[in-house]
Amino acid sequence: MSATALPPGFDPAQIPPGLAIAQPMPDVLPPVKPRKGFIGFVRRHPTMAIGGFLLLLMLCIAIFAPYLFTKDPTALAPALRTREPSARWWFGTDMLGRDVYSRVLYGARVSLLVGFSVAILASVIGLFIGIVAGFNRVVDSIVMRVMDGLMSIPSILLAIALMALTRGSVQNVIIAITIADVPRVSRLVRGVVLSLREQPYVEAAVAAGTRTPVIMFKHILPNTLAPLTVQATYVCAAAMITEAILSFIGAGTPPIIPSWGNIMAEGRALWQVKPYIVFFPAIFLSITVLAVNLLGDGLRDAIDPRLAKRL
Amino acid sequence: MWAYIVRRVVATIPVMAIVALFVFSLLYLAPGDPAAVIAGDQATPEDVERIRASLGLDRPFLVRFGEWAFRIVQGDLGVSIFTNLPVVTMIKQRVEPTLSLMVVTLCLALSIAIPMGVIAAWKQGTTIDRIVMGVAVLGFSVPVFVVGYLLAYTFALELDWLPVQGYTPLSEGIPYWLENLILPAVALGGVYIALIARITRASMLEVLSQDYVRTARAKGAGQTSILFVHALKNAAVPIVTVVGIGFAGLIGGAVVTESVFAIPGLGRLTVDAILRRDYPVIQGVVLLFSFVYVIVNLAIDILYTVFDPRIRY
Amino acid sequence: MTEPLLSVENLQTHFRTPDGVNRAVDGITFHVNAGETVAIVGESGCGKSVTSMSILRLIPEPPGKIAGAIKFEGRDLLKLSDKEMRKIRGNSISMIFQEPMTSLNPVLTVGRQIGETLRLHQGMSASDAEKKAIEMLELVGIPEPGRRVKEYPHQLSGGMRQRVMIAIALACNPKLLIADEPTTALDVTIQAQILDLMRDLKRRVGAAIVLITHDLGVVAEVAERVIVMYAGRKVEEAPVGKLFANPRHPYTRGLLGSVPKLGSSLTGHEERLAEIPGLVPSLKKKIDGCVFAGRCAEATDLCRAVAPALETKGPEHVAACHYALKEAAAA
Repeated sequence: MSATALPPGFDPAQIPPGLAIAQPMPDVLPPVKPRKGFIGFVRRHPTMAIGGFLLLLMLCIAIFAPYLFTKDPTALAPALRTREPSARWWFGTDMLGRDVYSRVLYGARVSLLVGFSVAILASVIGLFIGIVAGFNRVVDSIVMRVMDGLMSIPSILLAIALMALTRGSVQNVIIAITIADVPRVSRLVRGVVLSLREQPYVEAAVAAGTRTPVIMFKHILPNTLAPLTVQATYVCAAAMITEAILSFIGAGTPPIIPSWGNIMAEGRALWQVKPYIVFFPAIFLSITVLAVNLLGDGLRDAIDPRLAKRL
Repeated sequence: MWAYIVRRVVATIPVMAIVALFVFSLLYLAPGDPAAVIAGDQATPEDVERIRASLGLDRPFLVRFGEWAFRIVQGDLGVSIFTNLPVVTMIKQRVEPTLSLMVVTLCLALSIAIPMGVIAAWKQGTTIDRIVMGVAVLGFSVPVFVVGYLLAYTFALELDWLPVQGYTPLSEGIPYWLENLILPAVALGGVYIALIARITRASMLEVLSQDYVRTARAKGAGQTSILFVHALKNAAVPIVTVVGIGFAGLIGGAVVTESVFAIPGLGRLTVDAILRRDYPVIQGVVLLFSFVYVIVNLAIDILYTVFDPRIRY
Repeated sequence: MTEPLLSVENLQTHFRTPDGVNRAVDGITFHVNAGETVAIVGESGCGKSVTSMSILRLIPEPPGKIAGAIKFEGRDLLKLSDKEMRKIRGNSISMIFQEPMTSLNPVLTVGRQIGETLRLHQGMSASDAEKKAIEMLELVGIPEPGRRVKEYPHQLSGGMRQRVMIAIALACNPKLLIADEPTTALDVTIQAQILDLMRDLKRRVGAAIVLITHDLGVVAEVAERVIVMYAGRKVEEAPVGKLFANPRHPYTRGLLGSVPKLGSSLTGHEERLAEIPGLVPSLKKKIDGCVFAGRCAEATDLCRAVAPALETKGPEHVAACHYALKEAAAA
């Protein structure tokens, strides 16, 4: 057994003659270089990078709209109506002579405000309802029946019905879409809470007599945040579309405020002859929603590929 | 299995009751006097009084709900404030175009989305997969009216292949009927196709990584047999679930699509009713759509037993 | 000597992963004669399952890649088209998997799953295939085969499902049966039944068997020749008796040492169950020197610097260890 005759600091030249040496096997696949830093992030999560970039761009447009060579988006100029896009009016003018470029840029504010507000409100309310329902059987059976009922009303229809009752305002649009989205979010959170409660470490905490609020905040809440964040991005994207739809059919943001849905609604009558009035806000809306969806997909893949099934 | 079906059917009753209660109480959730809300800004005090009387607002809430629910069960959805016609009559006049649009969209979406998802899963990680998934994300993100205008502009105005707007009843022949429905169905189906293609891909990927697919391969089964005999049936439950859930989006989208393509269906009726604050009509349409949605999902619950022999509880 | 039924030469199966190439199987050579039972043993992750899947080319490419040669009846399986390969799978080479719970398709009847092989390879009609499926169920010892054939896998117990798997594998009278941990997921009593069944059927059908397992008890009972794998390589190969009596590679000795001996505590000798310290090295980095050096108590600088080749250490006995020969000479 004491065959360790060779000295430490082994010199390859000292291999005994006649020793059977295995030949190294060739590479079958080209070597993989793991990339680090910013380039690595973009390469590993291209959807998140593209989505994040586009969303940032839209945010900048919304914030800096007054400084991006815009005019007053509500200034009427009946003499200059329905002008084609040109050097003077980049996106042309609408039927009241307003500058479509300025209106579209300011319109980003409404869309993003509605999208983010609904996403945050629906997440917070849904998180609260979901966690409480996941912990209390009585609350669960009552609240979830109501949520099932609400979910049976197609959400756009529910938002439309709610808006039909109230005066059109951005605030009411946010409330109506939030109400329509809360059931879905609370269902998701409840599902996560219920599956987490089965986890051995949570059962252990319960068995050890940990108080319920402590379990909720220490063990359950942090684990719901990942799926909730992903869900929030989808809620945000859907809310922006719903806002545009509501405004488009005349039950959303009041016409005074330039929003993408409103601009399209106003361009609707003329779309066969002046299609640009509809198309410019349409392109901006599509890009923004795409950005948020890409961000959501990227987040989902980065956080947990298996989430794809639950959402 | 019959016990399962009966249980699913019974389970929809409380859901419908809650929908009805919610639709009924919508009017009272809004701030202010419901009669004034319905009457609108230009109403005279007499108008408001007339509406108040027609709604029976002087009696207790639950009594009114009870009476309303009782009438609904008998098939009476009330009378339109604007046209004075029974809501049921107005809905009947508008059902055909919407139903046609839905059926055509559903057929189109399923026949495109499921092969798309299956191919993407089969070719996972390749360019084909990336293209399919890219198209799906686009389908998700471009709102239905944007697609609608784009299609109408390209294929109707510029190329003049299809009619721009309108609806031709089925009674005038399938070609004319279909001609008017193709563009709206594609526009409306966009989101639905994206949704189903994504879940099909995800569900197929999950199934294709299962041990029994490896067994099938080890038996010498071909690619087509593996995808469609061994995998798709196992992947079906999540897919049909999403088909059911996505139906809600289809209903919401129909409201917009009908506006873009000037189709005189239930969606247009809804939009008109909202602009006129014709509340009985709004209630009737919301209730009807919700009922259809619940029934579709009930049908899907029952369909599960066809795909999965393990569901027998 | 006649040409072996299967001969695997320098098989390499690598996988592309985001953080490097995983060299799951890195140059393994062995052969299986007609009618012979060869066991491949090793810890989980040593590449034994990947080896068996590579033989039938069940490795998804990409991200995997198989290189080397797998000669079956003189033909290199790696050079066949997909269509030709499909004619071999389930027909002349078939496979039994570890998990009878998940290896059967839950939405197809047992009869259909057995019949599928027959319809694919023997062009049987659906009704003939079902008749043959009933025969096969009877052969593998499932009671009431006429009723069971119409049932779904969830209606069967684990042992019965593994019997169904065996029925599927044997339906076309294969020349080679690859059994990947066929008894691991089963209860001990069922394990014995399944092993008996396999031995019995092997006698009747005359197929060669490649048995993949980490259970040395199973090896001792069933195998004629044993291949020990470690970190994607073959480290020792010998007839079963010689391997158990006189293991040459320190890893094999470690494996044998970690098997509890029945009654060892009754004899009064409080022998500690020997264990192999350390972990299997990452296969994503190239390993200089002997793959086992990191865990070997007897490793020297030579071992860490230079990889040992497989050397003949006795009749039909090869091992890859610089010091195995010396020890044998001393013994």
